[in-house]
Amino acid sequence: MPSWIERSWTRGILTTRYPRTPASEAETPATARAPVPPQGAPIPPSAVASCPVEAISPRGVDQGRCIRCARCLTQGLRLDGAAESAVSARSELLLPAGGGTTRPTAPLASLGRSLHLFLVDVGSCNACNLEVVALANPFYDSQRLGLFFTNSPRHADVLLVVGVPTEPMVEPLRRAYEAMPGPKAVVAIGACPISGGAFRGNPGLRGSIDELLPVDVYVPGCPPTPIQILDAILRLRGAGRREG
Amino acid sequence: MSGPAWTVTPAERYELSAEHALAYVPPDGAFALYNDYAQRRSVLVPTPSPVRPEDVVATWRDQLVGPPPRRLAPQETVEGYGTFTFPYGPVSMGVPESGRFDVITYGERILELGPLGGYKSRHVLNALAGATIEDAALRIERLAGNVSASHVAAFLAAAESARGESVPRSELWVRALAQELQRVYNHVHVLARIAEAASQNVGSAQSHALAEEILRLQGRAFGHRWLFGALLPGGPARHLDPPDRKALDRELQRCAREFDALWELFLDSRTFIDRIQSTCPVDRASAVHWGGVGPTLRACGVRWDDRLRVPGPPYNDLFLALPEERDGDALARLLVRVQEVRASFLLIEQMLDRWPPGPGSPEPASSPVLPGRGLGRVEAPSGDLVYDVSVANGKLASVSARTPSQANWPLFALGMRNAVFTDFHFALESFGLLFAETDR
Repeated sequence: MPSWIERSWTRGILTTRYPRTPASEAETPATARAPVPPQGAPIPPSAVASCPVEAISPRGVDQGRCIRCARCLTQGLRLDGAAESAVSARSELLLPAGGGTTRPTAPLASLGRSLHLFLVDVGSCNACNLEVVALANPFYDSQRLGLFFTNSPRHADVLLVVGVPTEPMVEPLRRAYEAMPGPKAVVAIGACPISGGAFRGNPGLRGSIDELLPVDVYVPGCPPTPIQILDAILRLRGAGRREG
Repeated sequence: MSGPAWTVTPAERYELSAEHALAYVPPDGAFALYNDYAQRRSVLVPTPSPVRPEDVVATWRDQLVGPPPRRLAPQETVEGYGTFTFPYGPVSMGVPESGRFDVITYGERILELGPLGGYKSRHVLNALAGATIEDAALRIERLAGNVSASHVAAFLAAAESARGESVPRSELWVRALAQELQRVYNHVHVLARIAEAASQNVGSAQSHALAEEILRLQGRAFGHRWLFGALLPGGPARHLDPPDRKALDRELQRCAREFDALWELFLDSRTFIDRIQSTCPVDRASAVHWGGVGPTLRACGVRWDDRLRVPGPPYNDLFLALPEERDGDALARLLVRVQEVRASFLLIEQMLDRWPPGPGSPEPASSPVLPGRGLGRVEAPSGDLVYDVSVANGKLASVSARTPSQANWPLFALGMRNAVFTDFHFALESFGLLFAETDR
C-alpha cells in the first residue's frame, strides 16, 4: 500500500492544464487537425479526386466526412485545421474553398456545470469508444471538470454517440435517449455518426445520426482526440463555464 | 431462445484447413510440434492440397452472417427451479461496445452465458468487392480501431500474395513496429481494465496513463494515435528518421521501466491476484478443440504464435521470447500478456537498433493459394488473424477474415459456466474480445 502512494507521488501530476491553456502538441497529433483548403485559391481537382470518402468538393472540405487518411496532402491541402473543431450545426463543418474558418463563436445550449455522460456505441470500430473512455485517465481527468460517466441513461445529461448507425442499433439508441431525463444533449463523436465515415453507403446502415436524434454538438475526426471530445462536452456548458 | 441455431465449425477444422490451404499438412499432434522451437523453420512442406481453399473460406464466411442477434458461442438450454434468462446489453456502460450477453441463471451463479453479436455489423468486408487495395485498406483499419495495424498488415500480406507482389523490406519493418506498439497498448489496456474491475484504483489509473503514453508515442511517430493510415502508401508519417527512432526508443525504454515497476506493485497486491486466480478457467483440450488463439491459447500451455510459426522479416532476425502459462485462468492470461508486453518492448528495441537503412531488397510475398487468391496471417494482440483475399483485374473480388475474437468467444462462454456475476468483467477483459471484430 505505501508503495502505491510512493509511486503516485514520484510520477507527479500528469493531468493536462486544458481548458485553462490550449491543447499541447502531444495532445494533438498531425491527424487530429482537418485538411484545410489552400488560402485564396480554388481546390485543385486532383485533391477532389484523391479523397476516398468524397469529403473534398470544389465548395470546400467537409470535416464531417473526412477520415484523415491524409491522401490530399500531396494535392495541395495541409493538415492545418483547428485543434478544437466541435460545432453545433452540421453545415458549420464545411471548410470553404479559398480559406476562412466557420467555427462559430456563439455559445451552445447551456446545460449547467456538472454533467453526467452516457456512451452509446451504434457501430464503431472501438477507437472512438476508447478515446471517450480515455477522458477518465489521469492525463485528462474529466472528473476535475465535473464530468462523470454513468452506467444508466436515467442518470445522464449528455448522450455520447459513437459509430455509424446500424439498423439493429436504431431502436436501442432511441430507447436510451428516451430514458434520459431532460434537459439533455446529444454529442455525435467522429465521422461515423456524422456522415457514415469510411462506411458510408454500406448496406444496412443509416446515413447519419441526424436521421435519428437531434444532435447538439458534432465532433469531426477519425477518431477525435480526447481533447476534442472534452472541448465538445465543455461547449455544452456555455461560455464562461468551461473550467467548471 | 431466438436467433439462428449454433452453426460454428469446430476450430481445429479451420485451423487444419488453413494449413492445407497453405499447402502444409500437419502431422499428428500438430500443436506439440510448435513446442519445439528448433523445428519451426521446417513447418512449410510443399504437399498437394487435399482440401480446396474454397471450402476453407466458405466455412469462415458462413460462420458470421445473418441478422442479429447472432450467437458467437455454443449455448445449451439449462432448465431447473428458478432459472431465467437475463439479457445484458446491447447498450451498457460496463462493456463499452455494443453486444448482448444472455445469462441463464437462478440468482448469483451463471449457469450458461451466451454472447450475441451482430448489433454493430457494418458489412465492411462484403462491401469491399470492386474496391482498390488502397481504398479497401482504409476501411479495414477502421474495422477494429485498437488492432488496426494487425488487420491492415494481414490484409496487405494477403493482397500482395494474391497479386504476387514483392514488398520492400523496410515496409515489413514498419508493419512489425506498428503491430508491436499496438500489442503493448492493448495488453496494457487489458491490465488497466482488469485493475479497474478489481477496484485497484491507483493501479488502474497508472495503467491507463501508461496506455495513453503509448497512444501519444504512436501519434508522434506515425501521425495518428490509432495508426490509421500509418501502414498505407501515402500515409501521414511513414518515414521514421533516425532522430525520430532515437526519441521513440528512449521514450519506450522509459515506458518499459514504468511497466515493470507497475507490475511489481500489482504482484504485491494479494487481493488483486486472488481475484483473478482461477477465474474463468479454460482447459487445454477445449482451447485446442475450439481453436482458441493468442494469449488465451498460450495461457493453457500451447505455444502457438504466428510470429514464430513462419517467421518472415523482421521476426527471423530478432529474438522473440514466447511466454507460456499452464493454468488457463484469467491470471494466466494476464501473466502471458505481461510477459508479451516485455517481449514486445524488447522486440521494438532490437528493431529500432537495427533499422534497415534504405528500402532494402524487395521481399517476395508468400505464394498465392490459388492464382489471384492469397492468405495473410499475423499474430494480432488477441491472437492469430487470417485474411483471405481474392483479386481480379487489380480490384478486390472478395475479402474474408478469421479474427481472434471470433475464435475466442466460445472459450469465454465455456469458461463462464458456473462462474458468478462478479467474475464477468475479469473474464471478459482477460480474453481481450471485441465485438467490432466479429460484427464486421
